[in-house]
Amino acid sequence: MSGGEGFATGNEGDWEALARNAATGRDVSDEPAVLRELLIFLLGDSPYAMPVERVREIVRMRAMTPVPRVPAEIRGVITLRGEIVQVVDLRMRLGLATPEAGRRTRIIVLHGDDDRVTGVLVDAVREVVRVSEDDVRPATGGEGDAVAELFLSGENFVSIIELDRVLDFDGTD
Amino acid sequence: MAARKKKTRKSKAQREFVSEAEETLEGMREGLADLMDQRAGLDADGEVDPDLINRIFRAAHSLKGLSGMFGLESLSNLAHHLEDVLDGLRLGRVGADSPAVELLDEAAELFAAQLEQVGEKDFAEASAAAIDELIGRIDAAVRQAPPEPDDLAGLDLDPALLRALTEYEEHRLRENLRRGRRLFLVDTSFEILSFEEGLAELSEAIRGAGELVSTLPSPGEAPESQIRFSLLVATPLGETELGEQLDFPGATLRAVNEPALAPAESAGAAAAPVEAVEDVSPLEAPAPIDAGGELDSLRSISDTVRVDIRKLDELMNLVGELSIHRTQVEHIANRLSQNLDTARVGDELSRIHKLFDRKLKELQAGVLDVRMVPLRQVFEKLSRVVRRLRRELDKEVALEFSGSDTELDKLIVEQLIDPLMHVVRNAFDHAIESGPERRAAGKPSEGSIFIRAIQRGNHVLIEVQDDGRGIDVERVRALGVERDLIDPQESLSDKEVLELVFQPGFSTREEVTETSGRGVGMDVVRTNLAALGGMVELATELGRGTTVTLTLPITLAIIQALIVGVGEERFAIPLNSVLETLNVDRDSIQRSEGREMLNLRGEALPLRRLADEFELPSTNVETKQFVVVLGLGDRRMGLIVDRLEGQQDTVIKPIQGPIQQVRGIAGATEQGEGGAILVIDVASIVDEAVRRRDAA
Repeated sequence: MSGGEGFATGNEGDWEALARNAATGRDVSDEPAVLRELLIFLLGDSPYAMPVERVREIVRMRAMTPVPRVPAEIRGVITLRGEIVQVVDLRMRLGLATPEAGRRTRIIVLHGDDDRVTGVLVDAVREVVRVSEDDVRPATGGEGDAVAELFLSGENFVSIIELDRVLDFDGTD
Repeated sequence: MAARKKKTRKSKAQREFVSEAEETLEGMREGLADLMDQRAGLDADGEVDPDLINRIFRAAHSLKGLSGMFGLESLSNLAHHLEDVLDGLRLGRVGADSPAVELLDEAAELFAAQLEQVGEKDFAEASAAAIDELIGRIDAAVRQAPPEPDDLAGLDLDPALLRALTEYEEHRLRENLRRGRRLFLVDTSFEILSFEEGLAELSEAIRGAGELVSTLPSPGEAPESQIRFSLLVATPLGETELGEQLDFPGATLRAVNEPALAPAESAGAAAAPVEAVEDVSPLEAPAPIDAGGELDSLRSISDTVRVDIRKLDELMNLVGELSIHRTQVEHIANRLSQNLDTARVGDELSRIHKLFDRKLKELQAGVLDVRMVPLRQVFEKLSRVVRRLRRELDKEVALEFSGSDTELDKLIVEQLIDPLMHVVRNAFDHAIESGPERRAAGKPSEGSIFIRAIQRGNHVLIEVQDDGRGIDVERVRALGVERDLIDPQESLSDKEVLELVFQPGFSTREEVTETSGRGVGMDVVRTNLAALGGMVELATELGRGTTVTLTLPITLAIIQALIVGVGEERFAIPLNSVLETLNVDRDSIQRSEGREMLNLRGEALPLRRLADEFELPSTNVETKQFVVVLGLGDRRMGLIVDRLEGQQDTVIKPIQGPIQQVRGIAGATEQGEGGAILVIDVASIVDEAVRRRDAA
């Protein structure tokens, strides 16, 4: 699979397996280092990407308990096999419109150092793509700090989310 | 957390490096303190405990690696030179009385000072000069190596084995021979799959009887799937005694040196046969060479088991989950009982539920009990620190303890050490005056710190009481006004003024006599304790001393919680801080200066509304209001909620995610149906209420 393929081809279940394989490091070792593996997801109708090695698992929308005294982008906490994990609304964090959660809404659970496992709420998860480093270029404005790089997918540019910046609330609270 | 971040401009990686390095350094300084103590008691020919040197060496080595990884070349280089000194000590090239040993302490100080400056702009250049200078002195001090005597040939050891020894092991071997200790070779084999545990157990037993000089895999014949080891042991014990101590199945013992300096003992050893001596030919018996025998054992080493705390956590989680299921069964039983058609089944289920509940409580208590450890270990650690401080600051201070048998959850004990250490260090550093100052004030020149632990219900109180200069409350009040923290017009009680000491960054050494000079103050102590569901209070008398009281819950693992509702949300309040719940008329709530109060049996109880605290819509329009009376230490407040929803066993878990700490929330607990309920941090809510009352 390459970055040039469309987004609509991913079929539910396949990408989950893919994401998991990629996240556990399988199927990666033989590839040349210049390929990046990215998970493509939707916010509204627009595709975005994040490095797949940051993804621990992807779960469906579930009961969310709101937390007081935190920025609104923290939608609440969920329980995940005994762990209690904050969920960040990625659309709100990027200043995009926030539609209701739908059938395809997913929570991408990210690895974190210490106890910073975090969930991010997205509108749908599409697929994992491998992108050549040559196709990645620096972003020029738009989403501000949240996006530093883009890659060319067919005709379109897809923004790669800077997770560390997006999830750094220390400076904002 | 927030307090610490404000003070430094360190990046996250830098913070992590510094915290890890500080921890390692702390371990090293403790080791050095012990080393200095041992050294002071030595004669010229004396020898310091090799395990101690190794411990310090490991710390220096970690520091080297850490600094190197972080690109701090000069610090890494310094650590490298520390390794050299320690290595010299290990190998006997540097004597314990060498001036190089004193430089170790100095280097540790320098290291600590440098760590505080990591992240500062001109850090690299500023530090390099001081470090180079010290390294120069260390090099000069090390450059006197005593010659090494040589004779290991007389030992009954396979030359191949001798060759396999490292320089250090050889040195230890010589050192032990020089001291007239006996050497034994213990041969044994373990299952390949589990040899690490077996080996660790045997090594432990050996260390109890002497010194384990070397552990070598041995080529001898071993049953399939087993691996053989030879362990070289040096001990003052005779063969029989050692044999008794190393009571392991399949382990054989063989003496390898002539007991030159202790002939009587060796004769005794040879004459008193080990149990399996029948297998040994009589020819071999007189000379210990090759004497040995199967040491059979059915006896267990000890009747205690070491358990990884994580395993206990897992058990605790399981018990917690069982409690949740139990609650569900109870609900079903109640529902069934209320319906006429099913009342009989319901009652029967209720009865079974009660039995189940009782057994579950026993199980819970049992698992909890296993987690409990006495405070003694913490106290011992504290006395080590004070011993070091005494030497560093040259101050006479007696440290006394009581209640060291008081037990606390292991997890809490771990988290308690740092804040408690800080409080003690404060007392030592700043509260207790210098000898002349004390004499001038008519006090004994030796200061005293008294640490007392008392159990009170579900809490443990730890008091740290010093007889130092106390805190000048008027001075704190003046500083508070100067810094716009309090209104000069307002009449605050002394206790309320003292609260300022807990404000982030409030106190510094020069201004209030009562904080450590290390940049973290009582605010951090308070934050650390709040994370444990505990609190810290201060009482002081000018000229007479200060008492800091830490209040901690006995366990974090499972707590009884009161579930309350506000609007659509539910929260859990740990029951150990709930004094009572009231149902009061709206009209009986008094308002004054924007604050709500309740006359509770003649006392004014300040009230807060949980809906306001957490900015939630309240749905309560009834004339009756529910008030949960919270008590922590001697502070009381009432929390107004919409609903009381009963009690529940809860396992409090940390909330993971980008926001590390939410004021007022201690964690969350899983709910039967898969959601989470947030657990209220009573200490911080009470704290806020007090603070806001002061500010109002």
